[in-house]
Amino acid sequence: MTGRALDVLIVEDEMLLAIELEHLIEEVGCHSLGCAMSSDEAVDLAEKLHPDLALVDVHLSDGPTGVEVARKISSDCGGVALFMTANVKRLPDDYAGACGVIGKPYSEHGVRTALSYLAYCLQEGHAPGPVPVGLTLAPAYAQLWGLGNLPRIA
Amino acid sequence: MNDISEPARDTDQAAARRPEDFEAIIEARTRELTEALEQKTALLHEVDHRVKNNLQLISSLLLLQNRRVTDPALKASLRGMLGRVNAIATVHRRLFQSEDVERFDVSAFIRDMVADLMGSASRDDIRIELDLERVEIPAAKAAPFALVVNELLTNALRHGFPEGRGGRIFVGVRRENGDFRIEIADDGVGFDKDTTPPGFGLTIVQLLCQQLKAKSETTDAEPGARVVVLLPVNGAR
Repeated sequence: MTGRALDVLIVEDEMLLAIELEHLIEEVGCHSLGCAMSSDEAVDLAEKLHPDLALVDVHLSDGPTGVEVARKISSDCGGVALFMTANVKRLPDDYAGACGVIGKPYSEHGVRTALSYLAYCLQEGHAPGPVPVGLTLAPAYAQLWGLGNLPRIA
Repeated sequence: MNDISEPARDTDQAAARRPEDFEAIIEARTRELTEALEQKTALLHEVDHRVKNNLQLISSLLLLQNRRVTDPALKASLRGMLGRVNAIATVHRRLFQSEDVERFDVSAFIRDMVADLMGSASRDDIRIELDLERVEIPAAKAAPFALVVNELLTNALRHGFPEGRGGRIFVGVRRENGDFRIEIADDGVGFDKDTTPPGFGLTIVQLLCQQLKAKSETTDAEPGARVVVLLPVNGAR
């Protein structure tokens, strides 16, 4: 990976998943900023720490508030959100400003490749190649990163 | 939650004498049923969501444990289990994706599994060839089927191609005479004809094939090995 390591915030209320994600983040050469379990905590940390990327589950400790969290992170905190959720079909068409989604249950390999891929996209401003299996990009970001118009796949 | 399927007899009979009331009763009843259906659908989604999250939990536990373990045999064991949980997780990721909750798309599943297994193996020297007809099996058979495919693919990868020896793995799925024919073949080192008792993985395959009423046959592909599983379409054999 070229350039400075990406700062990644984890927004997930299942502690075991969060810890495993932290390991994966460090393994692909990014830097974990920590974990938020509720929407308030997530927005608070995002405002203070300005993550480059936030991994956001839709269901948090205070309910299905992840979509709003993603929206705030992209519009107010200058970061890019990525949904990690079992409810892929319930996401809004505009992905609330997030760059895409990884469906649960995800595999270790799936998350690793997605993180490396997104790190490249965020740093270079375009995609290194086709989207890896397990990751679905939001149409706006697919376009932004030079992948043309992609149909939405669950 | 009331079981809404019980008919409300007394009120219906008493008021049914007046036609204008009859319509109001039907409307109220329809409203009740629609709400009940919405509640049950929401519950179904909630359960599906819980299952997916819980599978994720299991995977994470295995991954976390694997990070702490240094013994290679133990690590291999844990990785094997992780692979099996992943196979089941892949089933659940795809289950309920289509409108038909009774059927499961085998070819889409195999593509997912192959991408994941080949990706984690990171062996540039192994090529994979797919020839997949669009085949659907009942949802109830999906998990056992997934476990069988996972064992056979993992076997081909691990035993067929030791480090340094590359080659090709073929996966084919098609309908044949009222069966689904699943073939996994490799051109690797082949299996030892002086058979030692089957390992845990192959035992799983045998047991699950019994459960699925499927026949499995392993032959020498010269070079390599070929396994063909015949899964009856309608469950009868």
